[in-house]
Amino acid sequence: MTHPQIAAFARLAKENTPPTRTLIGQKTLISRTMHAFDYDAVHDEIVVNSPLAQAILIFRGGANGEEPPVRYIQGPHTQVVGTGYGALDAVTVDGVNNEIFLPVASNSVLVFDRTASGDVAPKRVLHGPDTQIQFPAPGDRGALPAVGVDPMHNLLIVPSRASLLIFDRNASGNAKPLRVIAGPKTELGGGKPHVYAPKGWIIATAARGAIGVWSINDNGDVPPRWRIPVTKITGMNVNGVEIDPVHKEIMVPTGNGNTVFTFSVSEIFD
Amino acid sequence: MRRIIPIAVGITVLAVCLFSLGPANSPLSSITVSPRLVSVQRFPENELCAFDELASAGAPLPPENLLRAPRSASAIARSLTVGSSSAYAASQSSGAIADISRPPVRTIRDTYPTYTFVAVDNQHDEVVLQDNNLWSIRTFNRLENTPPGAPPSPPKRIIQGPKTDIQFNNGMYIDPKNGDIYSVETDTGDKVVVFDRTKQGDVEPNRILRVPHRGFSLAVDEDKQELYVGVQYPPQVPVYRKTASGDEKPLRSLQGESTRLSDAHGVALDTKKKLMFVNNWGHVSDYLTAGTGRFEDASISVYPLDVRGDAAPLRVIQGPKTQLNWPAAMSLDPDTGDLYVANDVGQSILVFKEMDKGNVAPSRVIKGSKTGLRYPTGVFVDAKNIEVWAANFGNATATVYPLSANGNVAPLRIIRSAPGGYEGLRFGKVEAVAYDSRREEYLVPN
Repeated sequence: MTHPQIAAFARLAKENTPPTRTLIGQKTLISRTMHAFDYDAVHDEIVVNSPLAQAILIFRGGANGEEPPVRYIQGPHTQVVGTGYGALDAVTVDGVNNEIFLPVASNSVLVFDRTASGDVAPKRVLHGPDTQIQFPAPGDRGALPAVGVDPMHNLLIVPSRASLLIFDRNASGNAKPLRVIAGPKTELGGGKPHVYAPKGWIIATAARGAIGVWSINDNGDVPPRWRIPVTKITGMNVNGVEIDPVHKEIMVPTGNGNTVFTFSVSEIFD
Repeated sequence: MRRIIPIAVGITVLAVCLFSLGPANSPLSSITVSPRLVSVQRFPENELCAFDELASAGAPLPPENLLRAPRSASAIARSLTVGSSSAYAASQSSGAIADISRPPVRTIRDTYPTYTFVAVDNQHDEVVLQDNNLWSIRTFNRLENTPPGAPPSPPKRIIQGPKTDIQFNNGMYIDPKNGDIYSVETDTGDKVVVFDRTKQGDVEPNRILRVPHRGFSLAVDEDKQELYVGVQYPPQVPVYRKTASGDEKPLRSLQGESTRLSDAHGVALDTKKKLMFVNNWGHVSDYLTAGTGRFEDASISVYPLDVRGDAAPLRVIQGPKTQLNWPAAMSLDPDTGDLYVANDVGQSILVFKEMDKGNVAPSRVIKGSKTGLRYPTGVFVDAKNIEVWAANFGNATATVYPLSANGNVAPLRIIRSAPGGYEGLRFGKVEAVAYDSRREEYLVPN
């Protein structure tokens, strides 16, 4: 893209409301193709990938302007690799357990210590045929999905093709998933799953431009409990979802409309 | 079989409770009471209504609201591991789905154009602007000037709509003989579209050329009738016949580790001295090999015009003296060889001498409060009229200066497409959002 900023907007911002701050410029090391990233509320940090340089950047939560990251993970020991087409577009942080999860090309999820810096090896790698993880290879046209973490129930949710693989959060090596949500009734869409742990909901993109809600206890070919048909409502596509449990809202970015929608969905959080 | 559950009578009572008790400025206040709130679970009516009021008043929230801020790390960790509410969901044996079809309560977007590129059609005395937000190409009279306080200037023509195949287009080239408009898409469009200059509205391009993913810039060697496409990542510069279309392959391509291309952006040609200039942001990695990523300073690398394969640059401009800070489009003065660089985050136009190399300061810098530059990503040298144009990504304007401008100079003219003083959102494909619960802010990347 032309200008790969991270812009902060007041929660109640509306049309044509300018950002309150933006993270921009050469010193930030950010690049285009930031398709899923996290704010770590526990440590007040922003954790984002730098897709074209095989790196994970960690900023102060209030970072602004041309502010460099406080640390970054990059180098030969990291095993970090994306794809030529989709790059390395998604990262997830678990602030409670101090871990960063990075899906990489060729069917692996790397787990780094949250405080890691420089050329460090992942503390564990989830990879192998029993995991059922199917990510694109470096030369493939596809992109890598983001994972979701449930620190309350110690679960790791991995989108893989048309399924959600639910692992123990500490799964390593060739571990089998605890449960697999897959099948024609699931309407899974493949985007970053968020877990609303108090209710055990998995909130993620669903088929046909929707947001769906599943349970962490679902297994097999189960439909979502709720569905917000964003494209049907707005006419625009869906590129992901974020949750705000306090205000009982979900936010939906729609890349092709350069728009962020906020939906009030109290029934999901109550 | 899957089915959609209509609102249940019991839930209607809850819906009325919610809608009637919501504060006037509540997102719920805009929702009419109609059969739309649906769920497969019953909610505790009183608790829900009361809870909403508490939340809007800033009262303490239940411990399961994990993202409420500010809270200490230990408090958050404790709430996640001790005595939390049940996580068990209702059975899905029925196969039912509840649709929540309410409209959004808020929308963040920019309703004005976001200009990424500018070029002048000297044959027809027009200036053409590429809009990355509303997906349009807008043509104005070259001498258009929007006075302060006046409403935005209306374009003479707009190319816009689903038939145009214009999306996040960035680089643009105007054919100096016939005014044809070439434009490259920089995201998943993966194509160059070419329009006759007179086209307007929702029209199909005259031709389409498929190019690699992440094309950013265009340049043409009119002598050889060759089209150069700058591609961000994997960084490369494929060269096509100027009139190529469809899936036609490039004549040659510059790509590889020796090239020192990295997150390539602007491309400019000097057809007299047979040189090609490419600027780079310094995000380096071999996408086929794990752990090869590294960061370098931004740079401008210089090659022979007919370079191909994994060739090293003739020279490189790089280092702190250069002031390069997310360099975007470049344009070369064919008479002097001066290289003009739209220096996005530097809020400046940098001018380098053609033979500059290493850690060298620009010979001139257009920068400062009088210039009106706001995140300039497009630059164009109009040698005929001895002017240089900038497309300002940050405020829906194009500004034009004397070609010899230096320092904090006011523009000769401004084309403005938003209200005066407008600060744009600078969106460019927002594919994610993260929520900063401590500051109650949305974090939105491009």
